[in-house]
This record gives sequence, C-alpha cells and structure tokens, in this order.
Amino acid sequence: MVSLTINGLEVTAQEGLTILEVAQRSDIYIPTICRINGKNSAEPCEMCLVEIAGMDTPVRSCVALAKDGMSVVTDSPELRTLRQEKLARISSNHFGDCKAPCNLTCPGQINVQGYIAHIARGEYEEALRLIYERNPFPYSVGRVCPRFCETRCRRILVDEPISINHLKRFVADWTMSNGIDLNIKREKHTGKRVAVIGGGPAGLTSAYYLARHGHDVTVLEAMPKLGGMLQYGIPEYKIPRNVLEFETNMILRMGISVRLSQKWGQDFSLQDLRDQGFDAILLAIGVGVDKKLEIRGQVLPNVIPAARFLKSLACHEKADYGRRAAVIGGNNIAMEAARSLIRSGVDEVTIVYHRGHEGMPANQRIIREAKSEGVQFLLMASPVQISEKDDGSLKVDLIRMRLGAPNERGTRIPEPIPGSSNIIEVDTVISSLGQMAVEDSFSGGELEEQLDISPKNTIKASLRNSLTNIAGIFAAGDAVNGPRTVIQAVVSARRAAENIHSYIMDTPKEPAENRFNFTRGKAFDDVALSNFDGINIKLREKMPERPPETAIQDFDEVKLGLTEKQARKEAERCLSCGCTAIDRCKLKPLDIEYKVNINKTGMGKFPVYARDYSHPNIIVDLNKCIYCQRCLNICEYDAIEITCAEKGENGIPTGLSLTFKDNCVSCGKCVDNCATGALNKKESTVPIISEKIRQVRSTCPYCGAGCQLIFKVKGDTIIEVTADPDQAPNYGALCVKGRFGFNFIQHKERLTKPLVRRNNQLVETTWDEALEAVAKNFFDLKAMYGPDSIAGFSCARATNEENFLLQKFMRTAIGTNNIDHCARL
Amino acid sequence: MASLAITFGSGAMTNSIADIADSDIIFVIGSNADTGHPTIGLRLHQAVARGAKLIVVDPRGTDFAREADLWLRIKPGTDVALLNGLCHIIIEEGLWDKEYVKERTENFEELEIICKKYDPIYVSEITGIAEDQLRKAARLYASSGKKSAIYYGMGLAHHASGTDNVKSIANLAMLCGKLGVAGGGVNPLRGQNNVQGACDMGALFNTLPGYSGLANDEIFAKYEKLWDVKLPRRPGKAATEVWDDIIDGNIRALYIMGEDPVLADPNAGHAVKAIEKLNFMVVQDIFLTDTAKMADVVLPAACYAEKDGTFTSTERRVQRVRKAVEPPGEARPDWRIICDLAQKMGYMMRYNSPEEVFNEVASLLPQYGGISYPRIEKLGLQWPCPDKDHPGTPVLHIGKFTRGRGLFVPEEFTGPKEPPDKEYPMLLTTGREFSQYNFGSMTRKTPGIEAICPEAFAEINPEDGKRLGIKDKVWIRLTSRRGSIKIRVKITERSQEGTVFVPYHFAEAPINMLTLNSLDRLSRSPEYKVCAVKIEI
Repeated sequence: MVSLTINGLEVTAQEGLTILEVAQRSDIYIPTICRINGKNSAEPCEMCLVEIAGMDTPVRSCVALAKDGMSVVTDSPELRTLRQEKLARISSNHFGDCKAPCNLTCPGQINVQGYIAHIARGEYEEALRLIYERNPFPYSVGRVCPRFCETRCRRILVDEPISINHLKRFVADWTMSNGIDLNIKREKHTGKRVAVIGGGPAGLTSAYYLARHGHDVTVLEAMPKLGGMLQYGIPEYKIPRNVLEFETNMILRMGISVRLSQKWGQDFSLQDLRDQGFDAILLAIGVGVDKKLEIRGQVLPNVIPAARFLKSLACHEKADYGRRAAVIGGNNIAMEAARSLIRSGVDEVTIVYHRGHEGMPANQRIIREAKSEGVQFLLMASPVQISEKDDGSLKVDLIRMRLGAPNERGTRIPEPIPGSSNIIEVDTVISSLGQMAVEDSFSGGELEEQLDISPKNTIKASLRNSLTNIAGIFAAGDAVNGPRTVIQAVVSARRAAENIHSYIMDTPKEPAENRFNFTRGKAFDDVALSNFDGINIKLREKMPERPPETAIQDFDEVKLGLTEKQARKEAERCLSCGCTAIDRCKLKPLDIEYKVNINKTGMGKFPVYARDYSHPNIIVDLNKCIYCQRCLNICEYDAIEITCAEKGENGIPTGLSLTFKDNCVSCGKCVDNCATGALNKKESTVPIISEKIRQVRSTCPYCGAGCQLIFKVKGDTIIEVTADPDQAPNYGALCVKGRFGFNFIQHKERLTKPLVRRNNQLVETTWDEALEAVAKNFFDLKAMYGPDSIAGFSCARATNEENFLLQKFMRTAIGTNNIDHCARL
Repeated sequence: MASLAITFGSGAMTNSIADIADSDIIFVIGSNADTGHPTIGLRLHQAVARGAKLIVVDPRGTDFAREADLWLRIKPGTDVALLNGLCHIIIEEGLWDKEYVKERTENFEELEIICKKYDPIYVSEITGIAEDQLRKAARLYASSGKKSAIYYGMGLAHHASGTDNVKSIANLAMLCGKLGVAGGGVNPLRGQNNVQGACDMGALFNTLPGYSGLANDEIFAKYEKLWDVKLPRRPGKAATEVWDDIIDGNIRALYIMGEDPVLADPNAGHAVKAIEKLNFMVVQDIFLTDTAKMADVVLPAACYAEKDGTFTSTERRVQRVRKAVEPPGEARPDWRIICDLAQKMGYMMRYNSPEEVFNEVASLLPQYGGISYPRIEKLGLQWPCPDKDHPGTPVLHIGKFTRGRGLFVPEEFTGPKEPPDKEYPMLLTTGREFSQYNFGSMTRKTPGIEAICPEAFAEINPEDGKRLGIKDKVWIRLTSRRGSIKIRVKITERSQEGTVFVPYHFAEAPINMLTLNSLDRLSRSPEYKVCAVKIEI
C-alpha cells in the first residue's frame, strides 16, 4: 500500500496503480478523454496532467504511478491553462455542428432536427411528443409561425429550406385525426396552487408546464372561450376553431381548472386570488388594448380598431362593412383584418401605410397572401383625418410620405411631403396601429395599482425570474413583451412556468444551457459548399392550398396540410446537420469547463473527409475525429485500424483514416465509446439534446448469455441501446443483435388488436370477444374430448413469470400436462 | 438438460461465463459461440489469446476451429463415438482422476465396459478424425491439475441421439474430475434468452416447476393446496410429439404463445398439415407469424421492452426485464393475457404485477427461494439460491453433486437416423449466422443487420462444388425426403466435404421443410443437425 495526498486529501491505495486510477477510485475528478478500458492512448489527450510536489513540470496522471508520500494537485491555474490550450488545439481541427441551425434559431429551442428525424422514420406520435416538451401549441404555431428556423436551414445552400413548420403541423394534425393519446405523464402532485390570469397562448402554456410539474393550476379567462388571440384575433381561415378547441383540450387534459368569463379587476382582484390560497399568480393577459389612431375622426362609428373588429368576427356578430374599406397599419393584424374584410363581402380593401413594402412590419409571406387575395396597398401615405359624409361613408384625408435622411442609427424615418394630399372614400376604416397590455395603469385593487408598467404600456417583469415588482406575482407573454408571435409567447410563458416552479418549490432553477456550439459556419457565407457534395437537388413539397378565388368566398382554412407521403418525403430532405452524439460527447463539456473560446481559437472550417457509409451499422465522419483512439482501445476484437498520415502544425493529426477490418462483428462498442460524433449509429437519427431521457436497464432478448443492456428512451420511443461497462455478466459488451437489433419493437407490423377468424378471414375484434371465443372453444373441446385434447406451447423468449403462468394455466384451468416450449427447437 | 439432470442431478450450465477467464483448457463441441452467443464467444477468444488451450470439435471450419490448438473435424452425428473414444484413451493411458471417480461418482464399471470397444482405430473410422488427434485431445483435456471446461451447444443436442451426446460429455468430465471447480464444468450454451427459465418454470410436459417430475406426491400436495385444484398426473405430450397426436385426432386445440412452428419445426410441412386438422388454435404473439395466420384467434402481445419480469440466463442467472415503452395499440403483456383468459375459464389468477407471480415462484421452487426483485435490482443472482441471505451459486457441484454421486451413463454409438445414401448423397446440417436470430422476425427488421446477412445460403466445400459442377453464388435446389428449397450456394472451406450447411433464419428458404423430425427418446429434441439431402442445379 502507498499513502499520498491528492488536493490535500490523504489517500491510500494499492501499489502499482497510476495516480489517475487512484483518483478515480477515490472519487477525485481528473479530466480525461482518451483513457478507456484501462488503456492509455498512443495519442494522449493530456487532460489528466497533474502537478506533483517537487517536480518541475506537470505529468500525465494516466502514466505516473502513485508513490508513497506523493503530494498531487489536480487543479491549478497553470493546469487549467495547459488543459485549455490543448483543448483549443484539439477543437481547432474539429469540424461539425453540435446543434443544427434550425434548433439554434427557434425561439422555443425546439429539437427541430429531432422531430423531423422522427417523421422521416414514421414516428409521428413521438415527433409530436418531442414538440410538446417545449411547445403545447403545435396546431396553431404549425399554422401561423413566421418560421425563424427555416430562414437558417442549411438546405437553402442546396435548393430550398425544409418546410419545418408544415411538418410540425402535419404531425399535430395526424395525431388529431388518428385520435392518438400522447400519454404524457404528469409529475407527482405537489399540492401547490397557481392562478394564471389569461387563457391565451401564454397563459395556457404556463398552465400546461406547471400542471406537468404536478401543481394545481387554475386559469381565469375574461372571455367565454379559451385561446386568447388564437380564438379572438387570428381568423378562422388560418386556425379553424375545431382545431383550436382540440388543441386547448389537449392542454387541459394535463389537469387544469378553468374559470371562464372572469374579468380581472372586475370579477376578481389579485388580493382575492391571494386570499384563495394561490401560491403564485401569473399575469398572461396579452395585449388586448388597441393603440389609438389619434387623428380627428377616430371615434366615428365605422372607424374600428383591428382587435375589436377581429373579435366581433370571431364571435360571428353580424355587421355590414360596406363596399369599400381601408385598413390603416402594416402589421400582421392589419393584413388579417384586410383579408377578413374581403371575406366579409367588401369589394375593395386598401391597406394604408406610411412606409414602403419592405418597411411593413408584417411577415412578407402574409403580405403576399393578402395581395394574392386582392388586397390593395396605398403605401408611403399617412392618414390625417377622417370625416363622415352625409350618406354615412367615410372620407379619409391622407398625406403622402417620403423617407427622410438617415438618422444616427442609419434608419430613414418617413416624413410628410408638405402640401401633398390624397383622399380616399370608404365605408369602413380599420385601424391597426399596434396593441398594448394596458392604457395607463391597472385598476380593481391595491395590488393592481402597484403594478409597474413599462413605457410601452406593458407589464414590467424581470427577464431573469419573470417576477413583477410584487412578490409572488409573475408575468409573461405579450403582456410583458408587447405584440409578438405565438411561439414567442409560448417561450416566455414556458420560462415563467419554470420560474414559478422553482419559486413555489423553493428549488434552484435548472441552469440555462451553455450556448457553446461547434458550427460548420454561422452565416451562410461561412459554410463551405463542399459540405453538400453529392446531395441532389430535391425541391420542397408544396403545401396544398385552396386557390385565392375560392378561398376568399368563406372563412374556411386556406392551407390544407401536407399529406403523409409528402411529409415523409419532406422530412427525408433534412440534411441532419446537428450531431447525434451530443449526449455522449467528451469534447464539448471539457471545452465549456475550461472556457475554450472556439470563436477565437478556431474550429474546423470545411470538410476534409467524406462521410463513410460503408459499414452496415456505423457512419464514420472523420471531420469530427479528435484522434483520441478510444475506438481502437475499446474494441475487443482488434477490428479497428486508425491512422494519421502526418502531424500538422501544433501536432494536429492530418490525413486520418479509419478502417473496420474484416473481423469486425458490428458489435458497436466503438460507437458508444467514441469521444465525439466521429462514429454514429446509422439508425440513431434523433439527437438527444437537452431534453430528459430515461435509461432503463434490462436483459437482452436474444441468446441465453443474458447480457445486461440499457435502453435510452425518449418519450415512448427507444432511441438506442447501450451497455454499462461495469455490469456483469457482459461488462459493456453486446453483439450486433443486442445493440442494433431493436427496430422490431416499434415496427409497424406489430400486432395491435386481437383478431378473430370470421368467414375464413382474420378480422379485428375487442379483447373481451377474443378471450370469450378462446374460453368457449377450450370449454367445449374439454367437455367433448377431455382436457388432454388441448395442448399449450410456451415460449423460451417469454419471461419466467409468463412461462410459469402458462404452465399453471394448462395444468389448472385446462387440467392437462400438455405444456411444452421450444427449448429443443 | 434432461441428461445432465440424470447424471449430475441438475440440468444446467455447471459454471459461469466469468469462469472462462479461469480455464486452462477449453473443449468446445457442437457450438459456434461466435454466431450463437457472440459475447460468450468473445470471452472464449480472449481466453485463448491469454494462453488457454482450445480443443474444437466441429465439422465446419469456424473461426474457433481455425484458432484451436486441436480441431477435430468430425463427421456430423458421430459425437457419441468420439466421446466414448476419448474416455477409452483416458482409461487406457491411466489419465483419469481415480480419486475423484472413487469418491464422487458411481457406475464407473459400466463406462469401462462400454468404452472398451471404442479404441482409436474404430473411432477414427466412424468420426473421420485421425488417431493421433484423438490421443492428443484426450491427453490435453485430461491434463492433471488443469482446469478443463467443456462448452457445448445445440450442435450436440439437436440430434436424435442428443441426450446420449450430452451424457457422454458428462461421462468424460466426471472421468477426469473436471466438475465442481471454477474454470471447469460442463456448460451447455442456451440458444434463447430464457430457455433455462422456461424449463425451470415447468413449461415442460413431464414435470411440475423445478424439475420435480410428475410422481412426487408431496410436491403435488403442496401445489394442489396453493392452487386449490386437483392437478393432472397423466404425462403430457412434448411439443415435437404434438403434431402426430393432432393427426391421430388425440389433440384438437392448441394454445401457442410466441412460437412459430410453421417455420421452426423440423419437417415443417407436417406441422402445417396438423394445424389444418385442428378444431381450434389461438396464437399469442407480437407479429402475425406464419402460424398466427392459420389461427382462429390471435392475441397481440407486448414484447420484452414493454413489460416487467425476469429471464434466467444460460449461467442460471435470474435477471430483471424492465418495461421501457408502452405496448403498441391494445397489445398486452402475456402474463396479463393468461390471467384474463384464466378468469374467463373460471379459474382465478389474481396477480397485480409480474413481481407477485415471481414471489409465488420463489415460494414453490427451492432453487429460486431466496431470489426477489429487490435482490436482483442491479445484479442478477445465480440459482440455486435457497434463502434470502444466500449469495447464489456460480459453480455447481462443488464437493458433491446435486444428486449425491455423479452417475456415469454410458451409451452406445447409434449413428444418424438418416445417413446419406445413393439418392440423397449429402449431409445437411443447420445453424445460425451471427447477426441473425431464429426466424428473423426480430433481427430482420433492422436494416444494418439485414445488410450483414440478407439472404440464406448453402455452404458447400470446394471439392464438392468441383465434383457437382457448382460455382459460388449460383442457385441450387436442395431436396430431402420431406421437402425442397431453392437456395444460393456459398463455396467455402468452412463446410466439410460431403456436408451442406444452411442457416435457418430465412422464411424465404425455410430449411426446416427438409429437416428430420426423428426425436431423441429422452428429451424429444429433433434431429435438426443431420439429414440426407441431394443437390440439383
């Protein structure tokens, strides 16, 4: 035995062990990448450097033996610098994307590549479950999202981006029309109560995630129906109300109480809620107040604020808007108001805006849609006053605008052209100048009056913890941020839910994910086109939609949704940019731990090696290889050959080559132990990013060796199978069947319903009928021919319990020893 | 299993997989662990790399055969002659463990008598193995003071004389005193994940759970009290015998859980004919198998990843199976289906979980008595584990056999039931490929596995190829007295002259239409491994 100190701790250990081994056995952390299976790499990673008292330079703890009286230090500024420098060198040659650009761009940080991969595999239910981890409004968002993600899709460099949002809508609609229960589990009941004011996207999102955490949530909604802007703002030709109802019901199924037609400040106050014992209150009231036009004539009866107009349409209130209408404003709501006017029988609809086309805040796609439906645009014009003529029609006086000189930030503010004027005559004016949460202050109680309001007439809430200036009262969504997209409201609300959860449970929030990310190029210009060698042009699937001529006749949905075939084809277009090894990566966590700034010190810029698909189960991407040789050292068959032609500057290996020798048995141990995404399983296409996965230990179903394996399960889908290196009897070894042969579990050919023969055909039936049929036949035959006329075959692949029960069944319920199994076959 | 129960008193692998690391000499017969049990194969290879001596008895030139210190390329179906011959040499040369035989075994005299005629010249004639190789193998295996382990697989058991083969193995091991020590033993490698468990649980026609047979009144009384019903004492029919009984009108209904006899049974055409004659058949499976397609009722079952329970591995280790995902659609775990059906039949089986079933097993089976779910939460226990403090048993028969003294049961060599003749001049033998499993319903759904081994093939020796004018990769017709299939040829030295090897995983080349359904007289195992065939181009 030797006795030494590591970081001042007295440690005794067997003689002949390395310092690293001694530290690992004493649970003292020393970083290492290349050390595996008790072997050191011929290309040491040098992460395990330690300082030993009395020695001038640090030594590798994987080779230095622990000696009596040694004093070892595993962490110091010098060691950190050395490790950081080495990591920077390794990283400078590592080329690939950690997370895909779509995922990084999505405000909801949804695992986009993941759900597209699920769709490509036909796992629609799991795709939707993955979306629900971060967005409980896939039906609506799938119809109205401005699609930030698609703007960054790398496929743009080949042909067109993936239709990500249409795919999201597809899986949502597919599960709806197939009546599938996502069966998302609610966590254990906490007994905590939260009140959410507002039943729109933000309120219901918070309610959903709070309920999922096990809290009792009550939503208070001012209107008679849930949905907020989705119900009372966005017209039905974009979100059919039956879809919205299904969507909100899905959310409520998490177990949420709802109080409808309850106006805050009128029917209840914050103090009331506190008195009712709620542990936290969330304000998610949206922006229900229209900004005023503030010109003469704004109060005329046919001058209607946009939100009020859309709400009355949504409530199917009868109204005559005349033959001509003007919509003042260039935002999304203005566009939808214009399209709704056309559908309400107005012949001429003109949008008036004080900037040009590009200057309108509305989404360009929506502007195009409005145009195609016949909406006209009067741009570079601003209303001055509105007056009513004798016949009740309206005269709108306009002044023409021009762009002024650039200001200090370079933007050119429109200014009136003196003396220019223009008049349009209409029957209705809709003003859409934007919305706010509150006019000047809230009323209805002391707490209400204390609430801090921002200059933009929204509720002030902390970005960090979603808290308003009043303890226990939180705010989220448009009510805080002003009018934004649905997905942004969802994101804000999900964060608020996490904040409320940690507040009421008094637990620290899960730390935000580090933004460290290897990338093949941040901007499109940085991405080498050689990345896409060999990828053929395949244009995106076209969304089936009704032609504008018929679409404007009614309020029915315009876009009809991708077919299943289209969705599969579209999903298969995905280039799968993101790494599927994120959850096992050894490099990224160390880069983060040692604060390597790869944006400064560099990372690979272009692909040097073509991906190798020749192995039946494994894809090799040497662009990500850091030449740590873990694969070589973990392979129990000596079936891997990995070489480097020469060392470049800084000792970086170049000219890498990895070959699987003929004796490779595809056991896949190398993939599970690869330090990066250089080795990948062909069938594991869903990256496991930040979501929770379950690891379930079980026993292999193939031969009798009884290998212990671990299922990695996401939602209700097995993503991959691995093995624990410390677990008997197989100690991390599995064969090709054990590690790769699990596709059959969730195969579409699985039997899902009992079948019974009718007219010589097997047809689906209920369990009760099927079992009844079996019991009756057994009964009759037993009565007629005796129990020995019935025989049972048990199964050497079924469990002990099931074998036990079947023989018990045959011996008791039937009364025969005619029971056997396939042991001999 | 039946044979080891007779000779040792316990029909299971005597030692543990981990033991391989302790063996000095490894004797492999009728097993290609690389394909049947890859992770065990790996440990065997590693043992050889470490310096253990390897003896392989195999008609095929497998990787193990090529790696072996001694490869005995045996004519298929002549194992008893070989094993008797080895015993003959060991006795003749005085290499046997006299003390061990005297103190721990009985009936040695009979072995001596039977083996007398199996001298190397005679055995060499039958098996095709050279005399000096026989002597070398005998001397190596018997090496005094060394730990010698025997591993065997279905290559030994799948014969009409399968139990004779196994008894002969037991004779050899007892004769040399290689039982009851770590690194030694007689170790059958179980082909399927839970064959051991299915046997332990009494899913057998001739015994109640725990191998207590059908004659023990005391045990019957115990079961009848717990199960509250009079149990049948008439012996049942083995699965392989059932078909004849159906044809004869004795059996009229089948309840099949997870089996596909239409593909799996030898002389499968016979099984199909029998099924057509049944009054009623219910199949409980995860897929609509060929057998299920013929059923009157099909019940959708959950697969291993969708339910809880235990499997007992080849080394007698009882390990947990855990539910990872939900079953598809309305599929239910088998245990639940059986309980539901029992209820419909008016016999109450009230279990809320597999754990409750297991606890009943533990209460009835002494080997499982000390095992419970909490105890095997992380690491499985090897039976016998009689009480809750017992650590399990990695090596059986230390100091004493389960039955007391080890019993020598020598058998005469009888030869294959269907030797090649003029009309059917070749021997057919069947087996596994490493990437595929059974009839492919599980493995063939993974593209990466299909890519490794996408289709069936018939391995034929280059000399036979030349003689018959067959080139590599051509299609041939392979015909036995029972059936005929088309299959692609693989010309390879792995196959011995005069023999054809065909893997049985492929429904499109259902080789069991050809195999022989002669049964072993004790275990009722079929003669899968040898039958006579002819090749037509």
